[in-house]
Amino acid sequence: MAELSLQHLDKIYDNKVQAVFDFNMDVRDGELIVLVGPSGCGKSTTLRMVAGLEDISAGTLLLDGKDITQAPAKDRDMAMVFQNYALYGHMTIYENMAFSLTLRKEDPNVIHKKVLAAAEILGLTSQLNKKPSQLSGGQRQRVAMGRSIVRNPKVFLFDEPLSNLDAKLRGATRREILLLHKRLKATMLYVTHDQTEALTLADRIVCMSMGHVQQIGTPLELYDSPVNMFVASFIGLPPMNFYHGMGFEDGVLKGNGMEVELTGEEKDILKDYYGKEIVLGVRPEDIHTGGTMPVKVISNENLGMNTLVHGTVGEAKHLTAKLKGWADYRNGDEVTMCFGRKHFFDRDTTCAIRKEGSVGNG
Amino acid sequence: MEMDERYVRQDRLRYTKNTVSSRLAILAILFDVLFFVSIYKSDVGSWYYTILIGASILYNLVFMLLAFLSSEGVKRYKPGFSWLLIALGAIQVVRIFILPMSAHRAELELKGETVRVMGDAQFIRCVIYLCVSSAACIAAAVINLGKSRMLKAHLARLGSRQA
Repeated sequence: MAELSLQHLDKIYDNKVQAVFDFNMDVRDGELIVLVGPSGCGKSTTLRMVAGLEDISAGTLLLDGKDITQAPAKDRDMAMVFQNYALYGHMTIYENMAFSLTLRKEDPNVIHKKVLAAAEILGLTSQLNKKPSQLSGGQRQRVAMGRSIVRNPKVFLFDEPLSNLDAKLRGATRREILLLHKRLKATMLYVTHDQTEALTLADRIVCMSMGHVQQIGTPLELYDSPVNMFVASFIGLPPMNFYHGMGFEDGVLKGNGMEVELTGEEKDILKDYYGKEIVLGVRPEDIHTGGTMPVKVISNENLGMNTLVHGTVGEAKHLTAKLKGWADYRNGDEVTMCFGRKHFFDRDTTCAIRKEGSVGNG
Repeated sequence: MEMDERYVRQDRLRYTKNTVSSRLAILAILFDVLFFVSIYKSDVGSWYYTILIGASILYNLVFMLLAFLSSEGVKRYKPGFSWLLIALGAIQVVRIFILPMSAHRAELELKGETVRVMGDAQFIRCVIYLCVSSAACIAAAVINLGKSRMLKAHLARLGSRQA
């Protein structure tokens, strides 16, 4: 069992720069939590505070109810997998995986069994006598994971482990991590700036920006019900289209040279915003051909299953649509489109406007 | 793959180096160097002993090279290097009877005085160094022979099981 509780964690560096503000989260046993956000948002700093590699400026860190805020890294029973693998080049894969246990002076026979078991899980059995330089990036990352597995830690920490891999290998290694999590049922904290990794791996995602937690929730919650414009723009690829200055009048949204029809439910959501300006958000995949809204095409990107159409709508407002199938639009073509699912945000707070008419708590 | 408890120790040999034998071979080199340094202290006024010391120095270079190669060989459980180490160990014992012993027994006339080529203390030190060097070579060889045979048998067993 490994439950982790991060309570009001702050990180303030010696130069008074605050990297993390009041981070609160309870990680349940066996849960895979992904911390996602742009570079410099404090996600790696948070992970390093959990690992014990950074001092915690304020707050409390509990592991299974025990306060480990001030405990040194070696006593926290956590294993960290780094982006750059951190393998010893002069040692074989077997020696690399066995190294931490050898330092602990464990029985060599026990170490052997643990290393072989981890190597089998990761498909590295035939590579054990090789040096890291003889392996591919994906294999090296698996070795780094194997080194963590043999320790049988309470919590696994991953700091952007796939960033050094090419796209194809990243996908394959991502699936391996997912299978590993299912097999080990271990508590894992995973840091990435790649939203695809976050959405595919996480039981819950923590979306961060500038040291603040923006939203904690399941991948579907973050995708479907973002609490603010930051989360809405960060989760989803291509990012959500935003249209500022839209006014709710006479049952329709007007502004930027556009007039957007609303459903009864959407009108209900916006009932408190009558006559006020809001921000309309529409995901590219929620834009479809047909309807009455003229879009002037700028460019067309065929991705095989989908086509990304970039164009302008209304008063030259940018629009990106993700259409199903193959389309061959050319610069200057005019297509009529319509919006499907819409998101509404408060202009001043950037928080989502929810069904009850309340504002999201971003 | 569930590891058979009886064969864990043997199976470890597949992935670990024979560091014990390798380090013993390095230890043999170390004591050979100590011997090598010790014989320089001899105050010899004879061409015979000067040539003997020179030959010993040359042999030391050969010994160090072969012992180092053997230390690398036994690290990978190569049984052939065990025989080389046994030969080197035997030669170290034989050497006791060449330079240190003959020098210890010999007396020279220098400026009308009779002096011994090698004193008692120096002789004992040289004998100890050569004995330890020899013992380290032979121990490294014996351990490697045992382990390499164990590994060979284990690999054969694994091979037959797979077949």
